[in-house]
Amino acid sequence: MLIYVFKRLVQLVPVLFGITLACFLLLRALPGDPATLLLGARGGPEEIALMKQRLGLDLPLWRQYLLFLADIGSGSLGRSVVHAQPVMQLVLERLPATLWLVAYSTVLAVAMTVPLALWSAMRRGGPVDLAIKLAFTIVIAMPSFWLGLIFVILFAIWLPLFPTSGYGDDLLSRLHHTTLPALVIALATASLTIRSLRSAILAVLGSDYVTTARAKGAGTGRLMGVHVLPNALISSISVLGAHTSWVIGGTVVIETVFALPGLGSLFVESIFSRDYPLIQGLTIVFAVLVVLINLATDLAYALADPRIRLE
Amino acid sequence: MQAVAVLRPMNQGIGMTKLRSLISAGALALAIGAPALVAVPSAAFAKGVLRLAQTQDLVSLDPIATSDNASIYAQLLVFDTLLRPSKDATKLEPGLAESWKVSDDGMTYSFKLRDAKFSDGTPVTAADVAFSLKRAGSDASSWKRFFSGIDTIETPDDRTVVLKLKKVFTPLLNNLALFSSAILPQKAFESAGDKFFDKPIGSGPFTVAAWNKGQGLSLKKNPHYWQAGKPDLDGAELMVIPEGNSRVLKLQAGEIDAAIDIPLNQLQALGRDGKIKTAVADVLRTDFVLMNTKKKPFDDLRVRQALNYAIDKEGLVKALLYGTGKVSNSPMPPMAYADPNLKPYPHDVAKAKALLAEAGYKDGFKTSLLVDSGRPLHRQLAQALQAALKQIGVTADIRLVEGGTHWTTTKSGDYEMAVAYASSDTIDPDQLVGFLVVNPERANAYHTEWKSERVNELYEKERVTADGPERGGMFQEIVRLAHDGAPSVFLFYPGTSYAYRSNVEGFEVLPTSNFRLEDVKLK
Repeated sequence: MLIYVFKRLVQLVPVLFGITLACFLLLRALPGDPATLLLGARGGPEEIALMKQRLGLDLPLWRQYLLFLADIGSGSLGRSVVHAQPVMQLVLERLPATLWLVAYSTVLAVAMTVPLALWSAMRRGGPVDLAIKLAFTIVIAMPSFWLGLIFVILFAIWLPLFPTSGYGDDLLSRLHHTTLPALVIALATASLTIRSLRSAILAVLGSDYVTTARAKGAGTGRLMGVHVLPNALISSISVLGAHTSWVIGGTVVIETVFALPGLGSLFVESIFSRDYPLIQGLTIVFAVLVVLINLATDLAYALADPRIRLE
Repeated sequence: MQAVAVLRPMNQGIGMTKLRSLISAGALALAIGAPALVAVPSAAFAKGVLRLAQTQDLVSLDPIATSDNASIYAQLLVFDTLLRPSKDATKLEPGLAESWKVSDDGMTYSFKLRDAKFSDGTPVTAADVAFSLKRAGSDASSWKRFFSGIDTIETPDDRTVVLKLKKVFTPLLNNLALFSSAILPQKAFESAGDKFFDKPIGSGPFTVAAWNKGQGLSLKKNPHYWQAGKPDLDGAELMVIPEGNSRVLKLQAGEIDAAIDIPLNQLQALGRDGKIKTAVADVLRTDFVLMNTKKKPFDDLRVRQALNYAIDKEGLVKALLYGTGKVSNSPMPPMAYADPNLKPYPHDVAKAKALLAEAGYKDGFKTSLLVDSGRPLHRQLAQALQAALKQIGVTADIRLVEGGTHWTTTKSGDYEMAVAYASSDTIDPDQLVGFLVVNPERANAYHTEWKSERVNELYEKERVTADGPERGGMFQEIVRLAHDGAPSVFLFYPGTSYAYRSNVEGFEVLPTSNFRLEDVKLK
């Protein structure tokens, strides 16, 4: 197992190398550069030239790339042009909110998925199954932006259970502040995982060993918990993994509606200002996180199904 | 089907009951846990802390580094400048300098500092002023251009600063009222190094308690502030709430006391219940459509004027700004020396058509309109403009691009028409005139490449003429020439909307777009 994890982490190196190169070149192909945009209306040709020189943008591309690799090696990931701070420092300031949101929403998604999928599968074709299907089809069709605002109006204004936005200071107030955004993300995730888990459960329920287990007199809890769920989980785990990877960088809209200090909004801002070092640094951080989530997904397979060996 | 049949009896058994109780237990936990938590954050705020929501987080507290609005507003609360614009933006008033004198030849500026202290209790000295202004004019500063006229800075005593210029440069006084001229404590700055701006020390009404990136800036009252009895507040929370609807909802829920940039379509309804007051501040901003005078058909004055006649600007103000702005008469916003007699181009489609025909475009022409996709107002505006231009036979293709691309594309001259705006950091027209209508200058008449030798000549003269009616006359002539030359389609001056709860007293957005929280009281 450890060897497997190590191997996967080693594979990360060429992946990251490719990402740095692609990101570096694509950025330079975009119109606009950080010096011109930072100076804006005050930037005459002399000022822009001076700033470019200070930022090292006047160097040949290959040297800029080598400097970028050196910045990665040093761990600072370079220095943000706009914020004038090491990229790593900026990332570390924003990373906790993103990871928290990922974790909280994933927990909520799983907490919704397992019981609802079981319920749905057990009442296949019945009103409950239909109601769940309908509810989550509506959820998936709604833009998360809009859903977020509706939740705020419902659960923060009309029924003031939660604050309208913000991040909170300690653990308790953080849980309180981030429940609504985590719920919005979790609903989007659950609308996918409930469908996949439900059909997997139905497939497993039709298999012979379930009939055997029933014949041996296994109770509902044991039947579902020991025989059905572990065998049905695999497909949902991969859906969950893919969706969680998306949450890492794709929650800008949620961050905006709920005023959360996550990586997504920092990433968008950095692109608007062409803050090369910051965009490059964030891309690498996202890549590492996605690879780690994929790894965690694979490890979860092995946990859910002992027949799967990771080598 | 078989599986379901097998399962059905069990559903009514233990499994289902457990599930139900699990769900209801969860709902109960939410219902019980949440209200108990609600009381905590609202009670935690002291009575004298103003919670103000803005659209963006600041980028840096270093006054010479950036120029985003949130950074500027925060810097102006933490630092002082020698002079500052009066609240109505008509003149300069004393800041850290209690008095000043410009020599008759315009080459020497003397400032007498007031008895002020930085937030750490050390006095503000002439050496601090000299250090800060030198820094603002150094190569490290993005604002170097604004201080390059200063030759030497002398400090005959601790309370006197004398600036000697290389040549007469009248706008300097206003540049000294700019946030980038903020006075920093030299000693504290030099001993803190790079870390200084994490928790900067200034002589402004507030000092930084904490800056949670992406969430906001916590300010607390500076006990050493020089204006007696101010600030009244214990502190202020400048909170980042990027989304307009979220700001409105938070204001209604009482989670914040004031908010800037209220969606205009909600402004009226918001003020209706009396608990929240709304306002729209006239700020030094102007929106227009740039025309690339290097490209056909915009090289023809008649075409540019025709487009100015073709647009119903009153209609745009009503429809897009909900009546909160004013129609513009030139590329300049109404500021010092504005000519009250200069009228906007009236909406006159027949005249527009006649001018087009005269220029040889009887059947109109095809063109493109560059729009920054990150500005919702400009996206709506583009649609309206497209429809209006259609009436005189002009087909405009809307090109939506992101902000950086918009700026770079106009700068490189690779556009035909572009929706844009300009706002002023100072109350003196020099800065905007240089940017909007002078060519060659740093932006070549905001990338329209429009050129008037007379404007250039007046610009050179205005900068070496002492402030007064004579200089004012020069600005009026510049603006009139720009009105006639029509380098852009002049549209409107939008205001800045804001709202605050009725327990807030004295909160206002100033024409320079910032706010003075030292004058705010909470009831």
